[in-house]
Amino acid sequence: MGAVRRTAGAVRLALGDRRAVAVVGLATVAYLLTYLYAIDKLTPGNGEFGLVVAAQPWEAFFRQGFGTFTYEPVALVRLGVVTYQFSLNTLIGLAIAILVGVNVGLSYFVWRQPASCGVGSRSAGLFAGVPALLSGAACCGPIVALIFGIQVTSGLLVVFEWLLPISALLLVGTLLLVGRQVDPVAASQ
Amino acid sequence: MTDRPSRRSFLVTVGAVTLAGCSSLVGGGSESVSRGEVSNVTVVGGEKPPNEPANAPPVSDRTLPVPVPLEELQSHAQDGGPPKDGIPSIDEPKFVSPGEVSGLADGSTVLAVTGPEPKAYPRRILVHHEIVNDEIDGTPVSVTYCPLTGTAQGFDRGETEFGVSGQLINNNLVMYDRELERWWPQIPAVSIPGPWHDTAGGVTLREFEVVRTTWGQWRSAYPETAVLSTDTGSARNYNRDPYGSRGYYESDETIFPNIYTDAEDQFHAKEWFYGARTAEGAAAFRRQRLHDEGVVRGSIGDRPVVAVHDPELDTAYVYRNPGEVSLDHEGDGVVTGDGERFAPDELPLDRIISFDAYWFAWFAYYPNTEVYA
Repeated sequence: MGAVRRTAGAVRLALGDRRAVAVVGLATVAYLLTYLYAIDKLTPGNGEFGLVVAAQPWEAFFRQGFGTFTYEPVALVRLGVVTYQFSLNTLIGLAIAILVGVNVGLSYFVWRQPASCGVGSRSAGLFAGVPALLSGAACCGPIVALIFGIQVTSGLLVVFEWLLPISALLLVGTLLLVGRQVDPVAASQ
Repeated sequence: MTDRPSRRSFLVTVGAVTLAGCSSLVGGGSESVSRGEVSNVTVVGGEKPPNEPANAPPVSDRTLPVPVPLEELQSHAQDGGPPKDGIPSIDEPKFVSPGEVSGLADGSTVLAVTGPEPKAYPRRILVHHEIVNDEIDGTPVSVTYCPLTGTAQGFDRGETEFGVSGQLINNNLVMYDRELERWWPQIPAVSIPGPWHDTAGGVTLREFEVVRTTWGQWRSAYPETAVLSTDTGSARNYNRDPYGSRGYYESDETIFPNIYTDAEDQFHAKEWFYGARTAEGAAAFRRQRLHDEGVVRGSIGDRPVVAVHDPELDTAYVYRNPGEVSLDHEGDGVVTGDGERFAPDELPLDRIISFDAYWFAWFAYYPNTEVYA
Protein backbone atom coordinates (compact mmCIF):
# COMPACT_ATOMS: atom_id res chain seq x y z
CA MET A 1 0.00 0.00 0.00
CA GLY A 2 2.95 2.27 0.66
CA ALA A 3 4.05 2.10 -2.97
CA VAL A 4 0.50 2.80 -4.16
CA ARG A 5 0.14 5.78 -1.83
CA ARG A 6 3.53 7.07 -2.82
CA THR A 7 2.74 6.61 -6.54
CA ALA A 8 -0.62 8.33 -6.16
CA GLY A 9 1.12 11.24 -4.48
CA ALA A 10 3.74 11.34 -7.23
CA VAL A 11 1.08 11.33 -9.93
CA ARG A 12 -0.74 14.19 -8.17
CA LEU A 13 2.50 16.11 -8.08
CA ALA A 14 3.19 15.42 -11.76
CA LEU A 15 -0.32 16.50 -12.68
CA GLY A 16 0.40 19.79 -11.00
CA ASP A 17 3.19 20.41 -13.47
CA ARG A 18 1.88 21.86 -16.73
CA ARG A 19 4.63 20.40 -18.88
CA ALA A 20 4.20 16.95 -17.32
CA VAL A 21 0.44 17.19 -17.96
CA ALA A 22 1.15 18.04 -21.58
CA VAL A 23 3.41 14.99 -21.85
CA VAL A 24 0.68 12.80 -20.30
CA GLY A 25 -1.87 14.12 -22.80
CA LEU A 26 0.41 13.76 -25.80
CA ALA A 27 1.53 10.25 -24.87
CA THR A 28 -2.07 9.16 -24.20
CA VAL A 29 -3.37 10.44 -27.52
CA ALA A 30 -0.36 9.14 -29.44
CA TYR A 31 -0.66 5.70 -27.90
CA LEU A 32 -4.42 5.50 -28.44
CA LEU A 33 -4.06 6.43 -32.10
CA THR A 34 -1.23 3.92 -32.52
CA TYR A 35 -3.28 1.22 -30.82
CA LEU A 36 -6.34 1.87 -32.97
CA TYR A 37 -4.18 1.83 -36.08
CA ALA A 38 -2.50 -1.41 -34.98
CA ILE A 39 -5.83 -3.18 -34.52
CA ASP A 40 -7.16 -1.83 -37.84
CA LYS A 41 -9.79 0.36 -36.23
CA LEU A 42 -8.19 3.53 -37.57
CA THR A 43 -7.30 3.18 -41.23
CA PRO A 44 -6.65 5.39 -44.23
CA GLY A 45 -9.92 6.66 -45.68
CA ASN A 46 -11.12 6.67 -49.26
CA GLY A 47 -12.24 10.30 -49.32
CA GLU A 48 -15.83 9.49 -48.38
CA PHE A 49 -17.74 10.89 -45.42
CA GLY A 50 -20.47 9.03 -43.58
CA LEU A 51 -21.62 7.10 -40.54
CA VAL A 52 -22.74 3.47 -40.33
CA VAL A 53 -24.14 2.12 -37.07
CA ALA A 54 -24.47 -1.62 -36.45
CA ALA A 55 -28.01 -2.98 -36.55
CA GLN A 56 -27.86 -4.17 -32.93
CA PRO A 57 -25.17 -1.97 -31.40
CA TRP A 58 -25.49 -3.08 -27.77
CA GLU A 59 -25.34 -6.74 -28.68
CA ALA A 60 -22.40 -6.11 -30.99
CA PHE A 61 -20.56 -3.93 -28.48
CA PHE A 62 -19.73 -6.86 -26.19
CA ARG A 63 -19.33 -9.47 -28.92
CA GLN A 64 -15.81 -10.76 -29.39
CA GLY A 65 -14.43 -10.43 -32.87
CA PHE A 66 -11.08 -11.68 -34.13
CA GLY A 67 -9.99 -12.90 -30.72
CA THR A 68 -9.85 -12.34 -27.00
CA PHE A 69 -9.99 -8.62 -26.17
CA THR A 70 -11.02 -7.80 -29.73
CA TYR A 71 -14.59 -6.63 -30.10
CA GLU A 72 -17.06 -6.05 -32.90
CA PRO A 73 -17.27 -2.45 -34.13
CA VAL A 74 -20.60 -0.75 -33.55
CA ALA A 75 -20.03 2.40 -35.56
CA LEU A 76 -18.05 3.15 -38.70
CA VAL A 77 -17.11 6.77 -39.19
CA ARG A 78 -15.73 7.86 -42.55
CA LEU A 79 -13.88 11.14 -42.25
CA GLY A 80 -12.38 11.54 -45.70
CA VAL A 81 -8.74 10.78 -45.08
CA VAL A 82 -9.34 8.37 -42.23
CA THR A 83 -11.92 5.76 -41.34
CA TYR A 84 -12.56 5.04 -37.68
CA GLN A 85 -14.45 2.14 -36.15
CA PHE A 86 -15.80 2.59 -32.66
CA SER A 87 -15.87 -0.52 -30.49
CA LEU A 88 -15.17 -1.62 -26.93
CA ASN A 89 -11.54 -1.67 -28.06
CA THR A 90 -11.53 2.12 -28.10
CA LEU A 91 -12.31 2.09 -24.37
CA ILE A 92 -9.78 -0.67 -23.68
CA GLY A 93 -7.23 1.23 -25.74
CA LEU A 94 -8.03 4.44 -23.91
CA ALA A 95 -7.48 2.76 -20.53
CA ILE A 96 -4.10 1.43 -21.62
CA ALA A 97 -3.24 4.72 -23.30
CA ILE A 98 -3.93 6.58 -20.04
CA LEU A 99 -1.63 4.16 -18.22
CA VAL A 100 1.04 4.71 -20.86
CA GLY A 101 0.50 8.47 -20.70
CA VAL A 102 0.80 8.60 -16.92
CA ASN A 103 3.88 6.37 -17.06
CA VAL A 104 5.57 8.60 -19.59
CA GLY A 105 4.39 11.81 -17.91
CA LEU A 106 5.63 10.66 -14.53
CA SER A 107 8.93 9.56 -16.02
CA TYR A 108 9.26 13.01 -17.59
CA PHE A 109 8.46 14.62 -14.26
CA VAL A 110 11.03 12.44 -12.50
CA TRP A 111 13.61 13.20 -15.17
CA ARG A 112 13.12 16.94 -14.78
CA GLN A 113 13.39 17.02 -11.01
CA PRO A 114 16.76 17.43 -9.28
CA ALA A 115 17.75 14.36 -7.28
CA SER A 116 17.71 16.45 -4.16
CA CYS A 117 13.93 16.87 -4.53
CA GLY A 118 13.23 13.33 -3.35
CA VAL A 119 13.70 11.66 -6.71
CA GLY A 120 15.57 8.36 -7.00
CA SER A 121 16.78 6.71 -10.19
CA ARG A 122 15.60 8.66 -13.21
CA SER A 123 16.07 5.75 -15.59
CA ALA A 124 13.33 3.61 -14.04
CA GLY A 125 10.71 5.34 -16.15
CA LEU A 126 12.24 3.89 -19.28
CA PHE A 127 10.58 0.63 -18.32
CA ALA A 128 7.26 2.22 -19.14
CA GLY A 129 7.99 1.93 -22.82
CA VAL A 130 8.45 -1.84 -22.77
CA PRO A 131 4.91 -2.95 -21.91
CA ALA A 132 3.58 -0.24 -24.20
CA LEU A 133 5.39 -1.93 -27.05
CA LEU A 134 4.14 -5.30 -25.85
CA SER A 135 0.52 -4.28 -25.91
CA GLY A 136 1.02 -2.87 -29.37
CA ALA A 137 2.11 -6.31 -30.51
CA ALA A 138 -0.87 -7.82 -28.74
CA CYS A 139 -3.29 -5.94 -30.96
CA CYS A 140 -2.56 -7.63 -34.23
CA GLY A 141 -3.33 -11.18 -33.26
CA PRO A 142 -1.95 -14.20 -35.05
CA ILE A 143 -1.37 -12.36 -38.32
CA VAL A 144 1.77 -10.76 -36.83
CA ALA A 145 3.21 -14.27 -36.72
CA LEU A 146 3.81 -13.85 -40.46
CA ILE A 147 6.43 -11.24 -39.65
CA PHE A 148 8.40 -13.79 -37.67
CA GLY A 149 7.80 -16.58 -40.17
CA ILE A 150 6.32 -18.80 -37.53
CA GLN A 151 3.07 -20.68 -37.32
CA VAL A 152 0.57 -20.25 -34.56
CA THR A 153 -0.35 -23.22 -32.42
CA SER A 154 -3.02 -23.17 -29.74
CA GLY A 155 -0.41 -22.47 -27.08
CA LEU A 156 1.06 -19.52 -28.94
CA LEU A 157 -2.43 -18.18 -29.56
CA VAL A 158 -2.99 -18.08 -25.81
CA VAL A 159 0.21 -16.08 -25.44
CA PHE A 160 -1.04 -13.59 -28.04
CA GLU A 161 -4.40 -13.32 -26.36
CA TRP A 162 -2.93 -12.54 -22.97
CA LEU A 163 -0.38 -9.97 -24.10
CA LEU A 164 -2.90 -7.18 -23.63
CA PRO A 165 -3.72 -7.81 -19.94
CA ILE A 166 -0.09 -8.68 -19.29
CA SER A 167 1.02 -5.36 -20.72
CA ALA A 168 -1.64 -3.56 -18.66
CA LEU A 169 -0.26 -5.21 -15.53
CA LEU A 170 3.28 -4.32 -16.52
CA LEU A 171 2.26 -0.71 -17.03
CA VAL A 172 0.79 -0.61 -13.53
CA GLY A 173 4.00 -2.22 -12.27
CA THR A 174 6.27 0.30 -13.95
CA LEU A 175 4.07 3.13 -12.70
CA LEU A 176 4.58 1.89 -9.15
CA LEU A 177 8.26 1.44 -9.86
CA VAL A 178 8.66 5.03 -10.96
CA GLY A 179 6.20 6.42 -8.43
CA ARG A 180 7.85 4.87 -5.42
CA GLN A 181 11.06 6.71 -6.25
CA VAL A 182 9.41 10.04 -5.69
CA ASP A 183 9.28 11.31 -2.16
CA PRO A 184 6.19 13.51 -2.32
CA VAL A 185 7.22 15.45 0.78
CA ALA A 186 10.69 16.26 -0.49
CA ALA A 187 9.52 16.81 -4.06
CA SER A 188 6.82 19.27 -3.00
CA GLN A 189 9.27 21.48 -1.10
CA MET B 1 4.81 -29.65 -58.85
CA THR B 2 5.08 -28.85 -55.23
CA ASP B 3 4.56 -25.90 -53.01
CA ARG B 4 7.04 -24.25 -50.80
CA PRO B 5 6.53 -25.53 -47.30
CA SER B 6 4.67 -22.82 -45.53
CA ARG B 7 7.25 -22.78 -42.79
CA ARG B 8 10.86 -22.28 -43.67
CA SER B 9 13.16 -23.99 -41.28
CA PHE B 10 15.47 -21.04 -40.72
CA LEU B 11 12.55 -18.78 -39.94
CA VAL B 12 11.25 -21.31 -37.48
CA THR B 13 14.64 -21.19 -35.84
CA VAL B 14 14.51 -17.41 -35.70
CA GLY B 15 10.99 -17.57 -34.32
CA ALA B 16 11.98 -20.16 -31.78
CA VAL B 17 14.88 -18.03 -30.62
CA THR B 18 12.67 -14.96 -30.50
CA LEU B 19 10.25 -16.84 -28.35
CA ALA B 20 12.94 -18.41 -26.22
CA GLY B 21 11.34 -20.60 -23.64
CA CYS B 22 8.19 -20.90 -25.72
CA SER B 23 9.56 -23.16 -28.45
CA SER B 24 6.94 -25.78 -27.79
CA LEU B 25 4.35 -23.21 -28.81
CA VAL B 26 5.74 -22.75 -32.30
CA GLY B 27 4.71 -24.72 -35.38
CA GLY B 28 4.11 -28.41 -34.99
CA GLY B 29 1.57 -30.60 -36.67
CA SER B 30 2.79 -30.22 -40.27
CA GLU B 31 4.23 -33.25 -41.99
CA SER B 32 6.45 -32.60 -44.98
CA VAL B 33 5.73 -35.22 -47.63
CA SER B 34 6.29 -35.76 -51.33
CA ARG B 35 3.24 -35.85 -53.56
CA GLY B 36 1.73 -39.32 -53.74
CA GLU B 37 3.61 -40.50 -50.70
CA VAL B 38 0.65 -40.54 -48.32
CA SER B 39 -0.95 -43.97 -48.16
CA ASN B 40 -3.71 -43.57 -45.60
CA VAL B 41 -6.11 -41.38 -47.60
CA THR B 42 -9.68 -42.06 -46.48
CA VAL B 43 -12.84 -41.87 -48.55
CA VAL B 44 -16.07 -40.80 -46.86
CA GLY B 45 -19.72 -40.18 -47.67
CA GLY B 46 -21.88 -41.99 -50.17
CA GLU B 47 -24.65 -43.09 -47.86
CA LYS B 48 -27.26 -41.04 -46.13
CA PRO B 49 -26.95 -41.76 -42.43
CA PRO B 50 -30.11 -42.92 -40.64
CA ASN B 51 -32.13 -40.61 -38.39
CA GLU B 52 -30.92 -37.36 -39.87
CA PRO B 53 -33.03 -34.58 -38.36
CA ALA B 54 -35.31 -32.85 -40.81
CA ASN B 55 -33.55 -29.55 -40.28
CA ALA B 56 -30.01 -30.87 -40.79
CA PRO B 57 -28.17 -29.70 -43.90
CA PRO B 58 -29.18 -31.79 -46.94
CA VAL B 59 -26.94 -34.77 -47.42
CA SER B 60 -25.23 -35.54 -50.70
CA ASP B 61 -24.57 -39.03 -52.02
CA ARG B 62 -21.08 -37.98 -53.07
CA THR B 63 -18.05 -39.90 -51.91
CA LEU B 64 -15.04 -37.69 -51.28
CA PRO B 65 -11.48 -38.13 -50.08
CA VAL B 66 -10.09 -36.81 -46.81
CA PRO B 67 -6.38 -36.92 -45.98
CA VAL B 68 -6.67 -38.74 -42.67
CA PRO B 69 -9.42 -40.60 -40.79
CA LEU B 70 -12.10 -38.25 -39.51
CA GLU B 71 -11.19 -38.55 -35.82
CA GLU B 72 -7.65 -37.61 -36.71
CA LEU B 73 -8.92 -34.75 -38.86
CA GLN B 74 -10.73 -33.39 -35.83
CA SER B 75 -7.50 -33.57 -33.84
CA HIS B 76 -5.98 -31.12 -36.34
CA ALA B 77 -8.66 -28.52 -35.62
CA GLN B 78 -6.99 -25.41 -34.31
CA ASP B 79 -8.39 -22.38 -32.57
CA GLY B 80 -8.06 -19.59 -35.12
CA GLY B 81 -8.57 -16.80 -32.58
CA PRO B 82 -12.19 -15.77 -33.07
CA PRO B 83 -14.77 -17.53 -30.92
CA LYS B 84 -17.82 -19.23 -32.43
CA ASP B 85 -19.56 -16.63 -34.62
CA GLY B 86 -16.78 -14.14 -33.78
CA ILE B 87 -16.68 -13.85 -37.56
CA PRO B 88 -20.39 -13.22 -38.05
CA SER B 89 -22.12 -14.86 -40.99
CA ILE B 90 -24.57 -12.73 -42.96
CA ASP B 91 -27.96 -14.25 -42.29
CA GLU B 92 -30.28 -11.69 -43.81
CA PRO B 93 -28.42 -10.58 -46.91
CA LYS B 94 -29.60 -7.60 -48.89
CA PHE B 95 -28.88 -7.17 -52.57
CA VAL B 96 -28.56 -4.22 -54.89
CA SER B 97 -28.44 -3.83 -58.63
CA PRO B 98 -25.12 -3.13 -60.42
CA GLY B 99 -26.12 0.52 -60.81
CA GLU B 100 -26.48 0.88 -57.05
CA VAL B 101 -23.03 -0.51 -56.26
CA SER B 102 -20.49 2.05 -55.13
CA GLY B 103 -16.80 1.81 -54.38
CA LEU B 104 -16.34 -1.55 -56.10
CA ALA B 105 -13.60 -1.24 -58.74
CA ASP B 106 -13.82 -3.25 -61.94
CA GLY B 107 -10.75 -5.20 -60.88
CA SER B 108 -12.16 -6.11 -57.46
CA THR B 109 -12.73 -9.78 -56.84
CA VAL B 110 -16.28 -11.07 -56.62
CA LEU B 111 -17.40 -14.57 -55.77
CA ALA B 112 -20.38 -15.31 -57.93
CA VAL B 113 -23.05 -17.88 -58.61
CA THR B 114 -24.36 -18.39 -62.14
CA GLY B 115 -27.77 -19.76 -63.04
CA PRO B 116 -31.22 -18.27 -63.45
CA GLU B 117 -30.64 -15.90 -60.53
CA PRO B 118 -27.03 -14.72 -60.92
CA LYS B 119 -25.57 -13.22 -57.78
CA ALA B 120 -22.25 -11.61 -56.96
CA TYR B 121 -20.75 -11.53 -53.49
CA PRO B 122 -17.92 -9.00 -53.30
CA ARG B 123 -14.90 -10.55 -51.67
CA ARG B 124 -14.32 -7.34 -49.69
CA ILE B 125 -17.53 -8.20 -47.77
CA LEU B 126 -17.01 -11.95 -47.50
CA VAL B 127 -13.51 -11.51 -46.14
CA HIS B 128 -15.20 -10.12 -43.00
CA HIS B 129 -18.09 -12.61 -42.79
CA GLU B 130 -16.99 -15.79 -44.62
CA ILE B 131 -20.54 -17.17 -44.87
CA VAL B 132 -23.69 -15.76 -46.44
CA ASN B 133 -26.82 -17.71 -45.59
CA ASP B 134 -28.86 -16.92 -48.64
CA GLU B 135 -31.59 -18.27 -50.86
CA ILE B 136 -30.97 -18.69 -54.58
CA ASP B 137 -33.77 -19.55 -56.96
CA GLY B 138 -35.88 -20.71 -54.02
CA THR B 139 -33.20 -22.97 -52.50
CA PRO B 140 -31.63 -22.14 -49.13
CA VAL B 141 -27.90 -22.06 -49.65
CA SER B 142 -24.70 -20.89 -48.00
CA VAL B 143 -22.06 -19.14 -50.05
CA THR B 144 -18.81 -19.58 -48.18
CA TYR B 145 -15.35 -18.09 -48.46
CA CYS B 146 -12.17 -18.76 -46.53
CA PRO B 147 -9.67 -15.88 -46.80
CA LEU B 148 -6.73 -17.95 -45.59
CA THR B 149 -7.09 -20.68 -48.24
CA GLY B 150 -8.74 -18.56 -50.93
CA THR B 151 -11.55 -21.08 -51.37
CA ALA B 152 -15.12 -20.11 -52.28
CA GLN B 153 -17.69 -22.90 -52.21
CA GLY B 154 -21.48 -23.06 -52.19
CA PHE B 155 -23.54 -25.52 -50.17
CA ASP B 156 -27.21 -26.36 -49.76
CA ARG B 157 -28.15 -25.63 -46.17
CA GLY B 158 -31.74 -26.82 -45.94
CA GLU B 159 -33.70 -25.23 -43.11
CA THR B 160 -30.66 -24.50 -41.00
CA GLU B 161 -27.80 -22.03 -41.38
CA PHE B 162 -24.06 -22.37 -41.34
CA GLY B 163 -21.90 -20.30 -39.01
CA VAL B 164 -18.17 -19.77 -38.51
CA SER B 165 -16.94 -22.07 -35.74
CA GLY B 166 -13.69 -20.18 -35.13
CA GLN B 167 -11.79 -23.42 -35.71
CA LEU B 168 -9.43 -24.03 -38.61
CA ILE B 169 -8.05 -27.18 -40.21
CA ASN B 170 -5.20 -26.65 -42.67
CA ASN B 171 -5.85 -22.89 -42.19
CA ASN B 172 -9.26 -23.58 -43.73
CA LEU B 173 -12.63 -22.47 -42.42
CA VAL B 174 -14.49 -25.00 -40.28
CA MET B 175 -18.20 -24.22 -40.52
CA TYR B 176 -20.83 -25.46 -38.12
CA ASP B 177 -24.50 -25.98 -38.75
CA ARG B 178 -26.86 -24.25 -36.35
CA GLU B 179 -29.21 -27.23 -36.11
CA LEU B 180 -26.88 -29.92 -34.77
CA GLU B 181 -23.70 -27.88 -34.33
CA ARG B 182 -21.73 -30.40 -36.31
CA TRP B 183 -18.37 -29.28 -37.66
CA TRP B 184 -17.97 -29.05 -41.44
CA PRO B 185 -14.51 -28.19 -42.80
CA GLN B 186 -15.12 -26.21 -45.96
CA ILE B 187 -12.71 -27.71 -48.53
CA PRO B 188 -13.55 -31.40 -47.97
CA ALA B 189 -17.25 -30.48 -47.46
CA VAL B 190 -17.76 -33.28 -44.97
CA SER B 191 -18.92 -33.46 -41.36
CA ILE B 192 -16.33 -34.48 -38.81
CA PRO B 193 -16.62 -35.39 -35.14
CA GLY B 194 -16.59 -32.34 -32.93
CA PRO B 195 -17.05 -31.32 -29.33
CA TRP B 196 -20.40 -29.62 -29.92
CA HIS B 197 -22.25 -32.71 -31.13
CA ASP B 198 -21.66 -36.41 -30.73
CA THR B 199 -21.65 -37.78 -34.28
CA ALA B 200 -19.09 -39.82 -36.15
CA GLY B 201 -19.12 -37.50 -39.15
CA GLY B 202 -18.58 -38.61 -42.72
CA VAL B 203 -21.63 -36.92 -44.23
CA THR B 204 -20.91 -34.96 -47.41
CA LEU B 205 -22.66 -31.73 -48.29
CA ARG B 206 -24.51 -30.89 -51.48
CA GLU B 207 -22.22 -28.45 -53.17
CA PHE B 208 -22.38 -26.03 -56.07
CA GLU B 209 -19.74 -23.98 -57.82
CA VAL B 210 -18.87 -20.44 -56.85
CA VAL B 211 -16.94 -18.56 -59.51
CA ARG B 212 -14.08 -16.31 -58.55
CA THR B 213 -13.85 -13.46 -61.03
CA THR B 214 -13.64 -9.68 -61.18
CA TRP B 215 -16.52 -7.28 -60.81
CA GLY B 216 -15.90 -5.84 -64.29
CA GLN B 217 -15.96 -9.26 -65.97
CA TRP B 218 -18.97 -10.45 -64.00
CA ARG B 219 -21.01 -7.31 -64.61
CA SER B 220 -20.34 -7.50 -68.33
CA ALA B 221 -21.30 -11.20 -68.46
CA TYR B 222 -24.33 -10.83 -66.18
CA PRO B 223 -25.58 -7.24 -66.38
CA GLU B 224 -28.79 -8.22 -64.57
CA THR B 225 -26.89 -9.66 -61.60
CA ALA B 226 -27.83 -9.00 -57.99
CA VAL B 227 -24.95 -7.85 -55.80
CA LEU B 228 -24.57 -8.40 -52.09
CA SER B 229 -25.05 -5.04 -50.36
CA THR B 230 -22.65 -3.58 -47.84
CA ASP B 231 -25.75 -2.98 -45.72
CA THR B 232 -25.12 -6.12 -43.66
CA GLY B 233 -26.12 -4.83 -40.24
CA SER B 234 -22.44 -4.70 -39.33
CA ALA B 235 -20.22 -1.63 -38.92
CA ARG B 236 -17.18 -3.31 -40.42
CA ASN B 237 -14.93 -1.46 -42.83
CA TYR B 238 -15.38 -3.21 -46.17
CA ASN B 239 -12.68 -1.08 -47.75
CA ARG B 240 -10.12 -2.78 -45.54
CA ASP B 241 -8.99 -6.38 -45.88
CA PRO B 242 -7.51 -7.46 -42.52
CA TYR B 243 -5.39 -10.13 -44.18
CA GLY B 244 -4.36 -8.25 -47.32
CA SER B 245 -3.35 -5.17 -45.36
CA ARG B 246 -0.78 -7.28 -43.53
CA GLY B 247 0.62 -8.96 -46.62
CA TYR B 248 -0.92 -12.40 -46.12
CA TYR B 249 -1.75 -12.99 -49.78
CA GLU B 250 1.80 -12.31 -50.94
CA SER B 251 3.50 -14.15 -48.09
CA ASP B 252 4.91 -17.61 -48.72
CA GLU B 253 3.98 -18.50 -45.15
CA THR B 254 0.78 -19.72 -43.60
CA ILE B 255 -0.39 -18.59 -40.20
CA PHE B 256 -1.32 -21.98 -38.78
CA PRO B 257 0.11 -25.46 -39.31
CA ASN B 258 -1.10 -27.75 -42.10
CA ILE B 259 -1.49 -31.50 -41.94
CA TYR B 260 0.76 -31.94 -44.97
CA THR B 261 3.25 -29.62 -46.63
CA ASP B 262 4.95 -30.48 -49.87
CA ALA B 263 8.53 -31.59 -49.38
CA GLU B 264 9.49 -30.62 -52.93
CA ASP B 265 8.73 -26.97 -52.49
CA GLN B 266 8.22 -25.86 -56.10
CA PHE B 267 5.28 -23.49 -55.79
CA HIS B 268 4.63 -20.40 -53.79
CA ALA B 269 2.23 -21.28 -50.99
CA LYS B 270 -0.38 -18.86 -52.41
CA GLU B 271 -0.08 -19.96 -56.06
CA TRP B 272 -3.59 -20.32 -57.51
CA PHE B 273 -4.82 -23.72 -58.62
CA TYR B 274 -8.21 -24.98 -59.76
CA GLY B 275 -8.90 -28.10 -57.79
CA ALA B 276 -11.37 -30.92 -58.35
CA ARG B 277 -11.86 -33.97 -56.18
CA THR B 278 -13.87 -37.16 -56.55
CA ALA B 279 -13.97 -40.57 -54.90
CA GLU B 280 -11.01 -41.51 -57.11
CA GLY B 281 -8.76 -38.74 -55.86
CA ALA B 282 -7.96 -35.14 -56.70
CA ALA B 283 -6.43 -33.03 -59.45
CA ALA B 284 -5.07 -29.49 -59.41
CA PHE B 285 -4.67 -27.33 -62.51
CA ARG B 286 -2.41 -24.32 -62.21
CA ARG B 287 -4.35 -21.19 -63.03
CA GLN B 288 -1.61 -19.70 -65.18
CA ARG B 289 -1.31 -22.80 -67.34
CA LEU B 290 -5.05 -22.92 -67.93
CA HIS B 291 -5.01 -19.24 -68.78
CA ASP B 292 -2.20 -19.81 -71.28
CA GLU B 293 -3.36 -23.07 -72.88
CA GLY B 294 -7.15 -22.89 -72.58
CA VAL B 295 -7.63 -26.66 -72.33
CA VAL B 296 -5.61 -28.99 -70.10
CA ARG B 297 -6.18 -32.73 -70.07
CA GLY B 298 -5.48 -34.81 -67.02
CA SER B 299 -6.86 -37.52 -64.80
CA ILE B 300 -8.19 -38.11 -61.34
CA GLY B 301 -7.02 -41.55 -60.35
CA ASP B 302 -7.31 -43.45 -63.63
CA ARG B 303 -10.31 -41.45 -64.85
CA PRO B 304 -9.59 -38.92 -67.60
CA VAL B 305 -10.69 -35.36 -66.92
CA VAL B 306 -10.30 -32.09 -68.78
CA ALA B 307 -10.09 -28.54 -67.47
CA VAL B 308 -11.29 -25.70 -69.66
CA HIS B 309 -10.53 -22.01 -69.22
CA ASP B 310 -13.36 -19.51 -69.51
CA PRO B 311 -11.84 -16.23 -70.73
CA GLU B 312 -15.05 -14.29 -70.19
CA LEU B 313 -14.81 -14.74 -66.41
CA ASP B 314 -11.17 -15.85 -66.24
CA THR B 315 -12.20 -18.99 -64.43
CA ALA B 316 -12.16 -22.70 -65.27
CA TYR B 317 -14.40 -25.75 -65.29
CA VAL B 318 -13.42 -29.38 -64.91
CA TYR B 319 -15.23 -32.23 -66.70
CA ARG B 320 -15.01 -35.98 -66.70
CA ASN B 321 -13.78 -36.99 -70.13
CA PRO B 322 -14.13 -40.80 -70.27
CA GLY B 323 -14.05 -40.85 -74.06
CA GLU B 324 -11.00 -38.56 -74.04
CA VAL B 325 -12.81 -36.25 -76.42
CA SER B 326 -10.48 -33.97 -78.32
CA LEU B 327 -11.05 -30.33 -77.37
CA ASP B 328 -9.45 -27.12 -78.54
CA HIS B 329 -9.87 -23.62 -77.25
CA GLU B 330 -10.91 -21.11 -79.89
CA GLY B 331 -11.74 -17.56 -78.95
CA ASP B 332 -14.25 -17.59 -76.12
CA GLY B 333 -15.36 -21.16 -76.80
CA VAL B 334 -14.23 -24.75 -77.06
CA VAL B 335 -14.32 -26.78 -80.28
CA THR B 336 -14.57 -30.58 -80.26
CA GLY B 337 -12.81 -32.85 -82.72
CA ASP B 338 -16.14 -33.03 -84.60
CA GLY B 339 -16.07 -29.28 -85.12
CA GLU B 340 -18.88 -28.57 -82.66
CA ARG B 341 -18.47 -25.40 -80.70
CA PHE B 342 -19.48 -24.97 -77.05
CA ALA B 343 -19.20 -22.33 -74.38
CA PRO B 344 -16.59 -23.39 -71.78
CA ASP B 345 -19.30 -23.96 -69.16
CA GLU B 346 -21.62 -25.89 -71.48
CA LEU B 347 -19.58 -28.84 -72.71
CA PRO B 348 -21.62 -32.03 -73.18
CA LEU B 349 -19.61 -33.81 -70.48
CA ASP B 350 -20.20 -34.43 -66.76
CA ARG B 351 -18.97 -31.44 -64.81
CA ILE B 352 -17.02 -32.02 -61.60
CA ILE B 353 -17.26 -29.35 -58.97
CA SER B 354 -14.06 -27.35 -58.92
CA PHE B 355 -12.86 -24.25 -57.13
CA ASP B 356 -9.81 -22.04 -56.81
CA ALA B 357 -7.49 -22.72 -53.90
CA TYR B 358 -4.08 -21.69 -52.76
CA TRP B 359 -1.60 -24.44 -53.49
CA PHE B 360 -0.68 -25.05 -49.85
CA ALA B 361 -4.32 -25.60 -48.93
CA TRP B 362 -5.04 -27.99 -51.78
CA PHE B 363 -1.93 -30.03 -50.99
CA ALA B 364 -2.65 -30.04 -47.26
CA TYR B 365 -6.01 -31.72 -47.92
CA TYR B 366 -5.07 -33.73 -51.01
CA PRO B 367 -1.39 -34.69 -50.74
CA ASN B 368 -1.76 -37.32 -53.45
CA THR B 369 -3.31 -34.88 -55.91
CA GLU B 370 -2.47 -35.03 -59.58
CA VAL B 371 -0.89 -31.73 -60.59
CA TYR B 372 -1.01 -30.02 -63.98
CA ALA B 373 1.26 -27.01 -63.76
